[in-house]
Amino acid sequence: MSLDVPLQIHRQKEGVAPHRDLFRVSVADSATVLDAIEAAWAWHDGTIQFRHACHHASCGSCAVRVNGIERLPCVTAITDVWDGASDVVVEPLRNFPVAADLVVDVSTLFDRLEASEMSPLRPVEHALPVEIGERPRTDDGTMVAPAGIERFMRFESCIECGICISACPTAALGGKFYGPAGLAAVQRARAEATAATEVDAILGSVDGEHGVWRCHSAWECTERCPQGLDPAGAIMSLRRELTARRLRRLFRR
Amino acid sequence: MKTMETRTPERPPPPRRLASGLDPRRRGAGSWAFVLSRITGLGLVVYLYVHLGVLSLLARGPESWDSFIDVVRSKPFLALDVVVIAGWLVHALNGIRVTLANFSFGARVQKAMFSVAMVVAAVLLVIMSVLIFEGS
Amino acid sequence: MSARLAYPGGAPHVVVIGAGSTGAATAHDLALRGVQVTVVERGEVASGTTGRNHCLLHSGGRYCVKDEEAGIECIDENMILRRIMPDVLELNDGLFVAISDDDLAFKESFLEACEACHIPALDLSKERALELEPGLNPEVLGAVQVPDGVFEPFRFCLSFLASAQSNGAAVRTFTEVVDFEGDPGTVAGVRVRDRSSGRIETIGADIVVNAAGPWAERIAALAGIQVPVAPTPGVMVSVGRRLNNMVVNRLNKPADGDIVVPQRVSSIIGTTSWSVDDPDYIPIPQDHVEKMIKCGRELIPAIGEAPIRGVMAVARPLISKGGGDAREVSRTFECFDHASEGVEGFVTISGGKTTTARAMAEKVTDMVCEKLSVEAECRTRDVPLKSYRTFYTRGAA
Repeated sequence: MSLDVPLQIHRQKEGVAPHRDLFRVSVADSATVLDAIEAAWAWHDGTIQFRHACHHASCGSCAVRVNGIERLPCVTAITDVWDGASDVVVEPLRNFPVAADLVVDVSTLFDRLEASEMSPLRPVEHALPVEIGERPRTDDGTMVAPAGIERFMRFESCIECGICISACPTAALGGKFYGPAGLAAVQRARAEATAATEVDAILGSVDGEHGVWRCHSAWECTERCPQGLDPAGAIMSLRRELTARRLRRLFRR
Repeated sequence: MKTMETRTPERPPPPRRLASGLDPRRRGAGSWAFVLSRITGLGLVVYLYVHLGVLSLLARGPESWDSFIDVVRSKPFLALDVVVIAGWLVHALNGIRVTLANFSFGARVQKAMFSVAMVVAAVLLVIMSVLIFEGS
Repeated sequence: MSARLAYPGGAPHVVVIGAGSTGAATAHDLALRGVQVTVVERGEVASGTTGRNHCLLHSGGRYCVKDEEAGIECIDENMILRRIMPDVLELNDGLFVAISDDDLAFKESFLEACEACHIPALDLSKERALELEPGLNPEVLGAVQVPDGVFEPFRFCLSFLASAQSNGAAVRTFTEVVDFEGDPGTVAGVRVRDRSSGRIETIGADIVVNAAGPWAERIAALAGIQVPVAPTPGVMVSVGRRLNNMVVNRLNKPADGDIVVPQRVSSIIGTTSWSVDDPDYIPIPQDHVEKMIKCGRELIPAIGEAPIRGVMAVARPLISKGGGDAREVSRTFECFDHASEGVEGFVTISGGKTTTARAMAEKVTDMVCEKLSVEAECRTRDVPLKSYRTFYTRGAA
């Protein structure tokens, strides 16, 4: 069964003031929002600029706002965001400079991720299944690795999509705030670090005015993360550790 | 690119450029808490200045203080007191939640903590309003 | 208009069309050999075929029985990629599992073929297979462990492009080729539309490499050349749970839905195969989605209860040799030097798979360097790639 969906897409090009164009696209009822954007591009206007690659929430490139809310359009069903009558509004992420249309400049995000030194890989944390957004579970020791492999590794849960930064009101105020993605990445790097000097350096890197202390606990990052992660919780746990560290140093004198 | 239907795209009205990053509508409880805490915080600062200004009336002698107290006892003014207390309760109780969650105590239930804080604030506000208006 | 641009030291300039795995690896190889490279891509990196692939770093087990050449190619490239991009690969090996007696009977020829292609293969008992992958169908009869791996295609391309950038390459995304420059019989550059500004620009080049995958035919047509590409999509289904750590393949001849690839916190079941004319927009046939779940459950029963997270399909750039079942079409790659068809300065690299992207790049870069009289050896086997995150921080367009 096919649907005729009215899709408003944010347009912004050099020399053209930001505005929205309306497209009526015909898509299958099982289609995603990304399918609808692609249909608008393929059948109506080949100049629409949008990022996409994997179509299964692993590359993180397609993140946009749908009806004002940050989402990954590749795994968002059109029927989840369309009431059958009103327009579906697609806009670029907040808090990043818009390059054109739905494409934003994500260099600051990747700058912070690279600086965090979070490895793209992590050990598989416990026996399968592993799910997004699950409560932390401890390894029950039943996992066995095959011959020639020390332990099972997997790609980090964070897909580096930038949705958390778009949702963050502190990031909206501009400035040099490291942002939830960057800080949560540092928390992951800290979790995987073993040597005391390494841990010290990692914690020290976010112990400044643009680091963990700049967060104002809106918790929007955790609310919007498509992978069900808790960047705000990661920031808070870094704060706790930094505070404990400071207190220990204070009393050591 | 080919076009199946060559039509110029229709142009809806341009989007409003409000500070969309700070607008709590369509966002989580955390954004509402963030905005409420800021508004009540500013409100309390303004109240503090007003309060200090009022106290300075004491320095001007008993007549000006007594005439001021008459105004303050009126129902409309008591209603303003209730507004101040509401602001204080929201700010303080949410503040407790923020302080705890900020150091990872109860971070997982921070949304629930906000709801509880607001319910407690509402209950206390009702009690205090009753006490204020009863005594007047 | 002179084709050779005035670069410092007079280095020749090559334009690569396409920032999928082929284009990215080619840009890296060219840049490493001292050639000036500009990559032009009409969308985002890996927004074509590469982005939506099955993410399987082949050990070669899938092909070794029927196609020894493909098997050897895969295992060689597999080992090279482990060396040059270790941080962007899940290296948990893979299993070829036997569920039926027919599967078990296939094991002997499978092991022989692996040996012939020097693919490390370990024959496992049913118990061992279930110990490694408790989520397997409990009726498993046996398995063979091979060095399959998993990549994430977007970051795969970003790694090659970041390395190319670090050697001076320019990568221009959202830059669409609309025509070729040059006198008849010569390609001297490309005319592109910069999508952000709408402006048409000319980029001069000594050689243009067509690495546009299923769109290679369309690009070549701009120069009056016919490139035989058959766009052949397949459906893959990603479920919202990681149900296996090792790649799980069916121990038998290649068929639909016989591979489950774990990736991050998902398991991806694939794939199918059918022909299309237009690679730009491929509606997903729902019966293929259902088939993937059905086939996946035969290998890992929990797939039946897992929520579907993503469904993808994109055209493979198979080289059509006229007629035949889509799955039968060769999966090797081909380089075409169109000088033999009367057009100088234009080559096409087509076919292949992401696992062999580096080898494809080596072949086309060898061809390009020979035409340019650039005497530099290929070093991509050994030079480690840069961090994929540095692609954006270096100020790509």
